[in-house]
Amino acid sequence: MSDHAHDDPITRRDALRAEALESILVEKGVVRPEVIDAIVRRYEQDIGPMNGAKAIARAWTDPAYRQRLLADAWRAIAELGVPTGPEIAPLVVVENTAAVHNVVVCTLCSCYPGSLLGLPPSWYKSPAYRARVVREPRTVLCEMGLEVPPEVEIRVWDSSAEVRYMVLPERPAGSEGWPEERLAALVTRDAMIGVARPEPARLAHG
Amino acid sequence: MHGFGPVAVEPDEPVFHAPWEGRVLGVLFQAVGFGWTSIDAFRHAIERMNPVAYLTVGYYGRWLASLETVLVEAGVLAPGEVDARLEGRRLPPAPLPEGLPRPVSGYERTADVPPRFAPGQPVRARNLNPAGHTRLARYLRGKRGVIHRVHGAFVFPDTNAHGRGEHAQHLYGVRFDAGELWGADAEPSAAVHVDLFEDYLEPA
Amino acid sequence: MADAPPGGAALDWNGPSAPPRRNGELVFETLWESRLFGATMALHEAGLFAWDEFRDRLIAEIGSFERAHGARDEGFRYYACWLAAFERLAAEKGLCSAEDLEARVARLRSRPPGHDHERSTS
Repeated sequence: MSDHAHDDPITRRDALRAEALESILVEKGVVRPEVIDAIVRRYEQDIGPMNGAKAIARAWTDPAYRQRLLADAWRAIAELGVPTGPEIAPLVVVENTAAVHNVVVCTLCSCYPGSLLGLPPSWYKSPAYRARVVREPRTVLCEMGLEVPPEVEIRVWDSSAEVRYMVLPERPAGSEGWPEERLAALVTRDAMIGVARPEPARLAHG
Repeated sequence: MHGFGPVAVEPDEPVFHAPWEGRVLGVLFQAVGFGWTSIDAFRHAIERMNPVAYLTVGYYGRWLASLETVLVEAGVLAPGEVDARLEGRRLPPAPLPEGLPRPVSGYERTADVPPRFAPGQPVRARNLNPAGHTRLARYLRGKRGVIHRVHGAFVFPDTNAHGRGEHAQHLYGVRFDAGELWGADAEPSAAVHVDLFEDYLEPA
Repeated sequence: MADAPPGGAALDWNGPSAPPRRNGELVFETLWESRLFGATMALHEAGLFAWDEFRDRLIAEIGSFERAHGARDEGFRYYACWLAAFERLAAEKGLCSAEDLEARVARLRSRPPGHDHERSTS
């Protein structure tokens, strides 16, 4: 990753401003560069969708855990010992069923369960997704490759306040008896946002 | 204030001129981060400093003095305890104040009044068009929905984010059918669930 | 970060059966985005502002863009909105005035080309 990768004048201007801002804050002792380094490293390496995937995989194999996850998500996630970010905004896990498909958005900005899943993908933050998924969810999901049958209700969760949402997708057919690690590998970030299904069992390796 | 002369810029100025400055920063981060004091109390202490001291002790000197002030006021340090330690004396041990550290948790609060609305109750999002900021998205204004969840009480961002106080109030999960939001163009079998503060809602 | 409970499954997320970490997308596209994100989080974690205070300014910047351009992706730059929101907050909190920032930008702009070649990585 380099600031030379995006060489348009606007990006270069922003890079310069961000650097200037950081240098002033460092000089004033308001931030320390090593604290910034540690935070970036944490989000690049430790906090990411693989953490949410563990919770999903456990919920698929353990019905009591599933109920705990749906009732009090952070408490259930704490059982897993995964690294999380500092935000302790309430988290609600919403389950997909044969009757309901859930999808998450933040129409106002970009809110996302980042403390568990890491940073959201660019498309999640885009004006088009944020405006359209509340208005025409079935169409948007179809464009993104997910067909939801007309008899299934699509429930769009708009994270307008402090509560963050994560989808508990349906377990893929053919994955019966699989160990948790193998199941977790089927769970993508997009499935936990609700714009995709988990990987099919037959395509997984290992 | 005027008349202080040209700003002296130190070429290649280091982040900290001396290790103690970095230590003060570390203490401050933890004092605030763990909830022994608040950043507002700390800023206020700087504002209250004796003007002569303010101008003579330097940037981290101000932080050091203010940190001591707020920790004494919070009851974490005894008055004069630091001076005593510098003189080689230790004051008698005293228990830390009850209620500290106060965890700097999220924005959940206990509201003064019970929730106005209950699950299953129909509500309407008010037609607010404030000049300032609001979390009530445009697409919801004037629309009718149903309470599906009472989340608890939270700090109200419309006021808190702009220094006008917390005004903690109840937050509700409200369900809006697609047909109500989008009329004839709505897709079938779709709904939007949004989290709305009590001030945004009225009975329907 | 909680310790794993005794007897809890230790999931192997570095080995061959590891779940995907990034779902095919970089966490940060550029160095400056990562530094800006880290600086914002560092100040928030130190208690210098409530997250609402940053979030509302971010909402305002995104809203400004959308009022001018509609809900179209073209031209939308998320971290440009983030930077503008953070600059405003830093100025309001007395952490970095607009004048100081402009002066520093001018100073950095006058650096010779290639000054940062030791620092950039790909």
